[in-house]
Amino acid sequence: MNGSTIIFYLLASFTLVSAVLAVTTRQIFRAAIFLLFTLIGVAGLYFWMQYDFIAAVQIVVYVGGITVLIIFSIFLTQQAGDLLPKQKMSRQLFAALASFCGFALIMLQVYQHTFIGNATQALPPTVANIGNKMLGVDDDGYALPFEVVSILLLAALVGCIVIAMRSKPEENIIKQ
Amino acid sequence: MFIVKYIKEVYSAIKSLLVGMKRTGYYFTHHKEIITEEYPDNRHTMVLPDRFKGEVVMPHNEKNEHRCTGCTACELACPNGTIKVITKFDITAEGKKKKAIDKLVYHLELCTMCNLCIIACPSDAIVMAQTFEHSVFDRSKLTKVLNNPDSKIMEGIE
Amino acid sequence: MWSFSNISSSIHHWLNESFSPTWAMIIEMVIAGVCIIGLFATLGLVLVLMERRVAAWMQIRLGPNRVGPKGLLQSAADTLKLLVKEGLTPNGADKFLFNFAPFIAMMVAMLLMAPIAFAKDFQLWDLNIGVLYISAVSSIMVISILMAGWASNNKYSLMGAMRSGAQIVSYELSAGFSILTIVVFTGSLNFNEIILSQTNGWWIFKGHLPAIISFVIFIIAVTAETNRAPFDLAEAESELTAGFHTEYSGMKFALFFLAEYINVFIVCAIGATLFLGGWMPFQIGNWQAFNHAMDYIPSSIWFFGKTFFLIFLIMWFRWTFPRLRIDQLLNLEWKYLLPISMLNLLLATALAILGWHF
Repeated sequence: MNGSTIIFYLLASFTLVSAVLAVTTRQIFRAAIFLLFTLIGVAGLYFWMQYDFIAAVQIVVYVGGITVLIIFSIFLTQQAGDLLPKQKMSRQLFAALASFCGFALIMLQVYQHTFIGNATQALPPTVANIGNKMLGVDDDGYALPFEVVSILLLAALVGCIVIAMRSKPEENIIKQ
Repeated sequence: MFIVKYIKEVYSAIKSLLVGMKRTGYYFTHHKEIITEEYPDNRHTMVLPDRFKGEVVMPHNEKNEHRCTGCTACELACPNGTIKVITKFDITAEGKKKKAIDKLVYHLELCTMCNLCIIACPSDAIVMAQTFEHSVFDRSKLTKVLNNPDSKIMEGIE
Repeated sequence: MWSFSNISSSIHHWLNESFSPTWAMIIEMVIAGVCIIGLFATLGLVLVLMERRVAAWMQIRLGPNRVGPKGLLQSAADTLKLLVKEGLTPNGADKFLFNFAPFIAMMVAMLLMAPIAFAKDFQLWDLNIGVLYISAVSSIMVISILMAGWASNNKYSLMGAMRSGAQIVSYELSAGFSILTIVVFTGSLNFNEIILSQTNGWWIFKGHLPAIISFVIFIIAVTAETNRAPFDLAEAESELTAGFHTEYSGMKFALFFLAEYINVFIVCAIGATLFLGGWMPFQIGNWQAFNHAMDYIPSSIWFFGKTFFLIFLIMWFRWTFPRLRIDQLLNLEWKYLLPISMLNLLLATALAILGWHF
């Protein structure tokens, strides 16, 4: 067991422990914070694999974006110091079963799938390579999915603006 | 036009930013402008502005005479009962009784330095002094008698 | 010649000769950690004193001048006071998160130190994606503020935390855009490559107008991101007592206080690296004699000089302007800084494609 393996197990146990704590705590803000730790742990795993770019993006998107959004919605809807109601036993059991099933499904897939070995050398995960792949239009480029995702994002942006735009009061009266 | 207005706003924002920073930059480089008084060190050289009001005093001349007639105008003018005039009757040379002050009691702890008593005084007997180190260990020391012992009223003040 | 890189490489060689590689690695990590903590402590002392003196002089005051010669020991005395103060935890607070929040602030500050190049060949972690790493990790900063605000169970703290959340999340955008301008010019996210690309001139001179605009936007945005006046709505003494750290006292408060100054240092170091050439000496075209004279000044002095110049600029900024209102703050970002920085990025890209920069 060398240092690298020890670091992997440390990161993995950190991720798992905070994931378990996130679903078992009864304080909603703590749940959000433990979720954050889980995501940081995953980012740490990426760093451990030296996928620096993916790790940084994981932190930007999940930690800086999504968790802050979750925390904001907690701030706006919940009272500090309140405990969530205790969950029913049946619900807990069902949730555990559901997550176990999901886990089992993924593991089954991973073990049954035969990964096709590629003769070509794997590209080093540098930013330039990722960028060239992502916007490449040749055989192994991902320009089309990239653009499709951008259109999805654009649609989401337009939807947000439509929801956020309040029609003027006079117009409402006219409509009525 | 919207764009013109926008650009004008950005321009004026940057301009006001620079104006403000020029001012503070001037102060930063010109230490002579510093107005801080290093009080306990400079207590002998410190100059207070004329309008500073420290406490009410009654000036006496070298013959131990003051100008107070005991009219109680200051006592009436005081909004919070700081001044109490205790009068007595002096017997003059002609054997007539004449009203005079026995004590002019001044409660510094009640005084707000509002200057109303000074304005009310018809004979300019009391003035505002510029002392300000008033802290004492006992509150009773703040109750002062303004006229000196055995002081008399000045000649010719009615 | 004496330099940081010589010292670090000789230590590295000596350790590798005397110990096994794993132990040498661990010892190097410990040394780096101790150096960073030492740097934090010195920075805290120096920057607090500098801030107070600069503030005083700009407001025609004298500033601290009693403790030690010319008041130089003032911040040491403050530290001593904070050390002996009791660290209270309020009764209704979430104790774990309340005590944990200041440490997150410090941890993030430590992580941000990793890719900064302090001198020539003197860097803790030469990361391929340095700039992205910085903007990613600095977004964790807001979590510590949100955590402190919520865990205090205090309305002032909560308001401060929400304000600072809104503020940091919005100003991250224009800070990111202004950083991207330089990334577009250099074509690299690596700090070392960015610095090396400025051998023949700093980007603020080479990049023409877009670089200057993005520099101004960068300074404004990072002032907002570090929650300093005129964007200090998160603390806003006159409205929210002390905002998110209202309930903190003693050493826990000191950690927040220190983290603020460390962050100022870090953002100024990044600004110096991106726009002012990091440890690169100042050079003018073909003026050989002048360039050689500049080369003799050690690179670490160049780096710290530029960083402290930017820190002074931010302090100047801070002590000149009154605090903005929250709507003015968000207007400034979404209606002015963001559109301008987007346009500016387009302009910079055009310049970079046409190769019009030097």
